Amino acid sequence: MTRRELWTPNRRDLLRMFGVGGAAVGASSLLAACGLGTGGGGPATDNGAAEVTGGFDWRKAEGTEISVLQTPHPYQVAFQPLLAEFTELTGITVKADLVAEADYFTRLNTELASGAGNYDAFMTGAYFIWTYGPPGWMEDLKPWLQNSSATNPDYDFEDIYEGLRRSTSWDFQVGSPLGTGGQWAIPWGFETNVLCYNKTEFDRRGIRPAETFDDLMQLATDLTDRANNKYGIAFRGSRSWATIHPGFMTQFTREGCKDYEKQGDQLQATMNSPEAVDFTRKWVELARSAGPTSWTNYEYPDCTGDLGAGTAMMVYDADSATYPQNIAGNSAQAGNLAWHPGPAGPDGNYGTNLWTWSLAMNSASEKKLAAWLFIQWATGKEAQTKAVQTGQAGFADPTRKSVFDGAFKQTLGNFPGYQETFEKVIGSTDIKFTPQTQFFETTEEWAVALQDIYAGQDAKTRLDALAAANTTAVNRAS
Amino acid sequence: MTTTAPPRTPAPAVQREPRPVPAWRRGLRPYVLSIPAVLIIVGILYPFVLGAYYAFLNYAAVVRRPVFIGLQNFAEILSDPAFWTSVRVTLHYAVVATVVETVLGIGIALLLNRSTLVGRVFERVLILPLMIAPVIAGVIWGLMFNPQYGVLNYVLGLGSTFDWLGESTAIWSVILVDVWIYTPFVAILVLAGIRSLPKEPFEASAVDGASWFYMFRRLMLPMMWPYILVAVIFRFMDCLKIFDHVFVLTAGGPGDATRTLQIGAYQNSIIQLQYSQGSTYMFLLWVIVFVTARYLVSVLGKAQRRAAGSEE
Repeated sequence: MTRRELWTPNRRDLLRMFGVGGAAVGASSLLAACGLGTGGGGPATDNGAAEVTGGFDWRKAEGTEISVLQTPHPYQVAFQPLLAEFTELTGITVKADLVAEADYFTRLNTELASGAGNYDAFMTGAYFIWTYGPPGWMEDLKPWLQNSSATNPDYDFEDIYEGLRRSTSWDFQVGSPLGTGGQWAIPWGFETNVLCYNKTEFDRRGIRPAETFDDLMQLATDLTDRANNKYGIAFRGSRSWATIHPGFMTQFTREGCKDYEKQGDQLQATMNSPEAVDFTRKWVELARSAGPTSWTNYEYPDCTGDLGAGTAMMVYDADSATYPQNIAGNSAQAGNLAWHPGPAGPDGNYGTNLWTWSLAMNSASEKKLAAWLFIQWATGKEAQTKAVQTGQAGFADPTRKSVFDGAFKQTLGNFPGYQETFEKVIGSTDIKFTPQTQFFETTEEWAVALQDIYAGQDAKTRLDALAAANTTAVNRAS
Repeated sequence: MTTTAPPRTPAPAVQREPRPVPAWRRGLRPYVLSIPAVLIIVGILYPFVLGAYYAFLNYAAVVRRPVFIGLQNFAEILSDPAFWTSVRVTLHYAVVATVVETVLGIGIALLLNRSTLVGRVFERVLILPLMIAPVIAGVIWGLMFNPQYGVLNYVLGLGSTFDWLGESTAIWSVILVDVWIYTPFVAILVLAGIRSLPKEPFEASAVDGASWFYMFRRLMLPMMWPYILVAVIFRFMDCLKIFDHVFVLTAGGPGDATRTLQIGAYQNSIIQLQYSQGSTYMFLLWVIVFVTARYLVSVLGKAQRRAAGSEE
């Protein structure tokens, strides 16, 4: 019996093979994509800070080329033209790869998990440290800061706002507050979450921003006129962790609510406490009565876009997100906007959650000295001052007090209330979340719960279920 | 005097000995022939097996040394209501989108088969949605769906209060986008099938006075069935794996209203960095797609045999 007699495929067999094979190939490609290699758990290379000796010199890594992963953002845009000056100063060339913000963290996750070390430094947010730090993907920058051979004596780390320094430092122990352990990133630019409103419209009506949350609800509802496609207040509502951290977490904190409490060596979710249920119910009611119709799909560009178009009367989000809408030529309402800290808590507190785009070092990098010199330069006084002065798209909220008080204040002439708002909240601005490694899973579930309540589910029942699930998740991972 | 040339007898063909193949080429031949198999193993089987293997580990970003945990991931996911919601959403999406696209695709193909000028223009226009990446289509439709500034509410006179991506409407809106992108695919496939049919049975029926609908139902549809099934198989399998425009439009929300299996896998693997859980999701999806594909292909085989008259 020949091989051909054993099996002679006909047309149907071939079609069947292609059909089933096609299904297998289609599914296998994503199956493989889910497995990101085995770099995640591998040992990180040596910190390297101790190897730098002698006096400080910007040209210690002359001739090196480093790769930096970044996302297009006012900070990055303002710094891009200055890279030539960095090269001139240090002899180091910087290759900056840009990935759109929507895809940025997917790319960064994949890159860091692979352990390939393709990027020496990268932009990151504080929450990401809680995920990227424990597997050893990020370099502790504290030894670099403490080594006078590697760090310019004029660097003045303490000049960076305390809340920001604390927000980028943690020891990865469940229940430990921020500010403990290593310094995993250096804040580069940041944003507070406050109210931006249409001052021209407020002045025309003879009204002022609300000072309490109940008054804000009433004001936003009064400003809503669906027939004329105008509504009171925009804030994020999409199915994402990013829905929780700006306006929601800020006001949640001001109203005296907390996300977790430590009980023994475990965390207990408390987003279902009586005050949290009451606040959440009101927040969702605010979205329903005075928010955008498609709230469950709203990201910050939608919110600020509606503010700039004159559709939304207020936005409760990052100040840097609203800032560009007031620059001439950027929106229909440019020049009409003003800022306010937002409602104080019942005890008068202005606790504010922040976001900081920071610069971190890849632990798998083989050019750590050059990467540190870049981070040090970009977060230093001189470069930040120049970026503030020359950035066409603005450079909201420099991380250094000296730069804010110096060059930045001079740019705020057309931004009524911006400086006053900043100065009112900065003392109580930091990360209001309890740090934990399952941040993205648990916070996205929180956003899903808000959407479910918006769709009509009972707030208490839904938040009880959320708290139970999140308590399990955060302690499972610890 | 004439002379006749003696008949020529063909010269005996020279039996040329085949040139001996050099030993190095003989030795190399098995390796060259095995290249496709190696490529399949390296390019398809290895990633697939590796991905499947992760489903049996506790591999996640926060776990430094993943260990084998057997079927624990499967047990956790299969007992998670969110997974079954994803299965329900995915099947709902796949069935509705495939049925609508098939019916519309056949209708459009029948219209375009009449070779008028308008038909020929539409034939070219029809392919445009297929030339747009689904992610871009998602962005475009997202802008059109926006109640505040989108064109749909304005054109349809719905004001700013109708939410296309709300809790009860989101699944239908994402299906609408799928229908917009992929109905032309079905139409083109069916149109190619219609044009390949023999003319004689239709001419004979016309002579006998058969109506258009009778010919469609009793002649065209049975002969077209294999083509239609191919379109159905492609679309149904694609819909089971749907991700891109759904993610752009709703990210699986509101709540879990549009959380398909692929979105669940993405959230587990890429957002939450739970690689093993994401792999388990995908492994389960692969099983669903594989079983469905086998079943549909067997139905297709039967339809082809029936169309060819070899099976009742």
